[in-house]
Amino acid sequence: MKKLMNILMLSCKKATELIEKRLVTKLTTVEKIQLKMHTTVCSNCTTYENQSDIIEKCIAKIHQPDTKQMKLSSKRKEQILKQLEK
Amino acid sequence: MDTNKGASKVLFENWVNQFSDQLYSWAFHKTSSKEIAEDLVQDTFYAAYRNIDKFQSKSQPKTWLFSILNNKIIDYYKKKSKQFTISADDYINQVKKTDGFFDEHEKWKNDTDLNEQHWLDNPEFNSILLICIKDLPENWQFIIQSKYILDKKSADICQELQITQSNYWQISHRAKLLLKKCIELNWET
Repeated sequence: MKKLMNILMLSCKKATELIEKRLVTKLTTVEKIQLKMHTTVCSNCTTYENQSDIIEKCIAKIHQPDTKQMKLSSKRKEQILKQLEK
Repeated sequence: MDTNKGASKVLFENWVNQFSDQLYSWAFHKTSSKEIAEDLVQDTFYAAYRNIDKFQSKSQPKTWLFSILNNKIIDYYKKKSKQFTISADDYINQVKKTDGFFDEHEKWKNDTDLNEQHWLDNPEFNSILLICIKDLPENWQFIIQSKYILDKKSADICQELQITQSNYWQISHRAKLLLKKCIELNWET
């Protein structure tokens, strides 16, 4: 029993690793159980899970298309037009 | 032939006047650099001009130009990710630093503030996050934002940039740990 627990019980470092791995690829069934068991008892890792999620969402928001229109410098526009004459 | 060339020149002048600001805004949004964004727009028009035969007047010029620009943006990051070298020492330092967040049993050394929801209440959160991202090694900065910059799934990005998936999520893990720590530190002060 103790041996089984050892296999299933992750360290915090490993648990946070799986939280990030999950965003890239599917976890194996064992990994899923391991992670679930860990976060059930570890409040620090549950918090990490939420923090990671917030960071992801904010990064996504930062990269959302901006409605703000910028102007290409007229110098560059001229350069582009000049290039077309070649 | 000459009249043809003249006609496409006029057409192009119109496109430059009509779309260059929009293309530039998009390129800047994706690269955060005015210089690079300008270059990408110029390359886009140049490629479009040379491939005008491939443009079918059925499609919208704006859509066509944007698809060329998006390819240029991916190419830019492909090239850049090849240059991303993080020296072995630097890499080891970053890994060591994040290892230091855990004790010898790999448990968190310090309890974290359990009320992370208040992160979102702070109007400064975005600017803190941006500062913290800038603190990461350059290729880590890109990896952690790549999904959103390129609008692609991580698995596809790994394939395009020729990074193994395990390498990608291990870097994401370390980068995220550093971000978490950095945000918490900026909070206290």
